[in-house]
Amino acid sequence: MPTLRLEKLTKSYGDVRAVREASLAFEPGKIHAVVGENGAGKSTLLQMDAGIVVPDAGEVYVDDARLAPHTAAEAIARGVGMVQQHFALIGVFTALENVMLGAEPMTSFGRLDDARARSKIGEVAREIGAELPLDALVETLGVGDRQRLEIARALYRDARVLVLDEPTAVLTPAEAQALYATLRRLAEAGRAIVVVTHKLDEVRDHADVVTVVRRGEIVVTRPLKRGDDDEVRALSAAIMGREAPEPIARRATEAGDVALRVDGVRLGRALRSVSLCVRAGEIVGIAGVDGNGQRELVRVLAGIEEADAGSVEGGPVSVVHEDRRDEGLVLDATVADNLVLGELDRFARFGVLDGDAFDREVAARLASAGIVPPDPTLPARSLSGGNQQKVVMARAIARTRLAARVLVVAHPTRGVDLGASRALHEQLLDAASRGIAVLVVSADLHELRALCDRILVMARGAIVADMPPTATDRDLGAAMLGAPAA
Amino acid sequence: MKSAGLLSTVTGLAAAWIAFTLLVWLYGESPRELASQLFDGTWGSAYGAGQVIFKATPLLFTGIAVDLALRAGLFNIGAEGQLAVASLAAATLGAHLGAGVPAIVAVPLVVLVAAVAGATWAGVPAVLRARFGAHEVISTIMMNRIADSCVALAFANGFAIKGTVRTPDIVSAARLPKLERAVHAFHGSAASVAIYIALGVALLVGAWFRRARLGRELVLVGKNPRACAAERIPVPRRLAQALLLSGAIAGLACLATVLGYKGYYESGLGAGAGFGGLAVALLGRGHPVGLLLAALLFGTLQQGGLAINGRVPMEVMDVLQGVVIAAVALADARVRASLARMVGKARPA
Repeated sequence: MPTLRLEKLTKSYGDVRAVREASLAFEPGKIHAVVGENGAGKSTLLQMDAGIVVPDAGEVYVDDARLAPHTAAEAIARGVGMVQQHFALIGVFTALENVMLGAEPMTSFGRLDDARARSKIGEVAREIGAELPLDALVETLGVGDRQRLEIARALYRDARVLVLDEPTAVLTPAEAQALYATLRRLAEAGRAIVVVTHKLDEVRDHADVVTVVRRGEIVVTRPLKRGDDDEVRALSAAIMGREAPEPIARRATEAGDVALRVDGVRLGRALRSVSLCVRAGEIVGIAGVDGNGQRELVRVLAGIEEADAGSVEGGPVSVVHEDRRDEGLVLDATVADNLVLGELDRFARFGVLDGDAFDREVAARLASAGIVPPDPTLPARSLSGGNQQKVVMARAIARTRLAARVLVVAHPTRGVDLGASRALHEQLLDAASRGIAVLVVSADLHELRALCDRILVMARGAIVADMPPTATDRDLGAAMLGAPAA
Repeated sequence: MKSAGLLSTVTGLAAAWIAFTLLVWLYGESPRELASQLFDGTWGSAYGAGQVIFKATPLLFTGIAVDLALRAGLFNIGAEGQLAVASLAAATLGAHLGAGVPAIVAVPLVVLVAAVAGATWAGVPAVLRARFGAHEVISTIMMNRIADSCVALAFANGFAIKGTVRTPDIVSAARLPKLERAVHAFHGSAASVAIYIALGVALLVGAWFRRARLGRELVLVGKNPRACAAERIPVPRRLAQALLLSGAIAGLACLATVLGYKGYYESGLGAGAGFGGLAVALLGRGHPVGLLLAALLFGTLQQGGLAINGRVPMEVMDVLQGVVIAAVALADARVRASLARMVGKARPA
């Protein structure tokens, strides 16, 4: 018997139909993957499951009883838990407080019953098969721990259906493996697990059932032959509605002079001593577990933070920041304003904007980036994640056609689908072929291998290894965990 | 967005009407009769309409000022103090201009000094914000208190005519003509051409937000300062500029009171216009027409209070102003978001 069932769900935003008559059932004991391109409607579909978004038509059933009222609170009370892509934890609270928040057990005198919460979370932790650092402040925890905490929070509320949106986007390969082991354990305990993902390798290796969503409609739901490579090809064809493109191949280019030289840069405790150089036309990758100083390095290179010691030579530098929603975009401003954010002085004469020049530049960037829908007047918030990333990239790439000689990109395709990833990668390769020095920070080793001439590994605020793109996962992984460089 | 704005405005007006009915009924009067009396005393006659315009003019200036800061994500609670200091500066200069200075020189000069004085008063919070990140709500409120004291101090030390709390008369060349000179029907009302200047400023600021680099960047900074900083927009400087401009425009409100009405500055002249500007900005929602309508609404309520004063206390209208502000603020997502930012240090990790 399905635990969660969707009946002909339909949802539109303005003229855009995000989901159309989607019917689907999630069964206990199964890991159910939902795949599709950016903007295909996956997120909307799942947010309707979790009661967060109210459908225009159609119904959600939990254990054959209709979800009514259609609210997140009701969904949680009925056992539907959601782990969002952007974690909803409070940094200055401890892990324990975050898990309890909103569902605090009370003593009969109306005081918080810490002991009872602790013992219940202990059970949850045993089920997940992981230690939870209950008394640590969340802001001191790594991404993997935060995610386990989100899962623990859902289980603490007795979730029988667990929906995860892009859970491995921020995890290293080892952490992702551990996550799926946890999910398998939860499924075997009788829970229904739903995973939205772009990573078809993961679907192949871990899912029991897959649903493909394309343009708001469900194309197919079927069981998977686990571990079968043909499945990946079949799925990507189903997702795109055509055969998957060939993977990109790095063209060998002649590297020029050193265009970016970083020498002994220190910053607080985040960067101990970072030295690296990137030549014109070269693409250099930085691999590493999140939180090992990559973010701070990018901020220093961007000139937002002043290094405590050391020097950065070269530039001007064009930067794509790690967090596109917070640092990359003004979400409530138009796509046009975002495409030229920080460049208004170029269009101003005596402080007054030249509207025609502005519109021309925006139209050019919009077209070359292939942003959908191609309407510069929409708020950036209304775009899908992949298209938001295209906006940020288009801005950075355009600057390499102006003054910038160095392009620094953090996580170019995080949470971005296959088709869009490919387009973004091609733009990076193109920039390099024009003689731009490119530095790519990513947690995705496939991506780094495909793009880079060299891969630097960062651990605990320093570059610990310099490897060729042919290095194995094992070698890179060992270096990422901080093993001394060979 | 547009319909949400309309909704909160309608909510505000509906709430005001209910409160009006209730209060008047509690005083044992007929709401219908009083409503008609209120209308007769405001829009029902040319004189009443002129008085509404007169009351609305400083509110429009301060409303534009508060709105400008609000778009950059700042709450300028200090329009009150900025206006007081600007009034004192403008009146003092206006009184000491030589008799031979023509109006074409005198008026722009006094207007400029008013703007500079308002900006100077806002400059302290602006620098505190840009340099040290001090919250402008706290510092502008404190500057209001300091302005009160400074004006009193100035009056006691030679700025006022001895034994009074008012400045000498400004020269006639620096005065703004009343509307009654152009439209005879306005005879007796205190409305002056300051309203035209206020309208011009409203339109200019509206265009400035769309077409000027600085205005456009201020809006972006107001929406996400972190992204702007990441793209090398000098956020602290932009915030300071927004407060300075806001203070300058708040200072201009003295055009309606000092230059267009009294011809001198006295203790308490224009008081309340600074806080009224907060209400106008909340109701006007960043549009010149919206700001004008909001200023006229509050001008109507103020003038209406005088019209019905014989039967119910005019403070009833103050209550209504409060009701409108509270209802609109609660229905306004912008305000809710700003409040959440101010209260909530607990950001999601």
